[in-house]
Amino acid sequence: MIKITKNAFNLEEEFLKIQDSSNGGYSFFLGTVREDIKNKKNKIQSIILECYEKLAVKQLSDIRAQAIKNWNLNNCLIIHRIGKLFLGEKIVLIITASAHRENAIRACEFIIDNLKVNVALWKFNVSNGEEEPVNFKNKDKEKFLKWSEVIKY
Amino acid sequence: MKLGSEIIEISDNLSFSEFKEILRNKNPIFLEVFKDKSVKYFLNLTEIIDTNIFLKDGDEIAFLPPVTGG
Repeated sequence: MIKITKNAFNLEEEFLKIQDSSNGGYSFFLGTVREDIKNKKNKIQSIILECYEKLAVKQLSDIRAQAIKNWNLNNCLIIHRIGKLFLGEKIVLIITASAHRENAIRACEFIIDNLKVNVALWKFNVSNGEEEPVNFKNKDKEKFLKWSEVIKY
Repeated sequence: MKLGSEIIEISDNLSFSEFKEILRNKNPIFLEVFKDKSVKYFLNLTEIIDTNIFLKDGDEIAFLPPVTGG
C-alpha cells in the first residue's frame, strides 16, 4: 500500500492493515520533524512538504515492488505526508512484513534510503514566517548508492 | 522555486531541445534551470536523458531539482 496524504496517521491502525499470521517479523521506520540543532538563531517552527504526486506514487510503487521482490516480503506499506507539519509530527512511515526479521529490517532500510534520494518530494523549513528549501545531502546519495551492491535489478 | 504547472501549446514535431528554447524565451528562470546539472527532466513520469526526442500532444514534462523528502 502506498499513500501520500495531508492527514496524520495512527501507527497501530496502519500496522493492523498488514498484520498477518504468515509474518514472523515486521520492521518500522518512522520519520518525524526534527528541530534544527545547528541553526539556533533561526529555529524551525514547522516544515512544508511539497510533492509531484503522480510521479511520487509511481516512484514509491516501483521502490516497494523492488523491495518485495528482493527481500521476499509478504507485504509493505509506505505513507508519506505532505503539507505543513510542526516539530515532532510524523512525516513518513514504512512497515515491511516478512517471514523472517532480517529481510524485513534490510528492506525497510533500503526503502527509506531510496525514498530520500529518488522520490519527488521537497522539504522547506519554516522559520519566522520564511520558507527555505532544505538542501539535498550528498551523504544520503552515498548511502543509497551502496545498495547497488545488494539489490538485484 | 516552488512547484508549479502550466499548459503550453506547441507545434507538431517539436523536439525537447526546441521546447527548452521556447521556455528560455518565455521565462529567464529557465536559463538557470537548464544550466543546473542537478535538475532532472521527466517526460510522462519517466526520466529522460536524451533531449533530441520529439514531443506529442498531451505530453507532460517536469523539471525537478534534487529531492528532499523522508
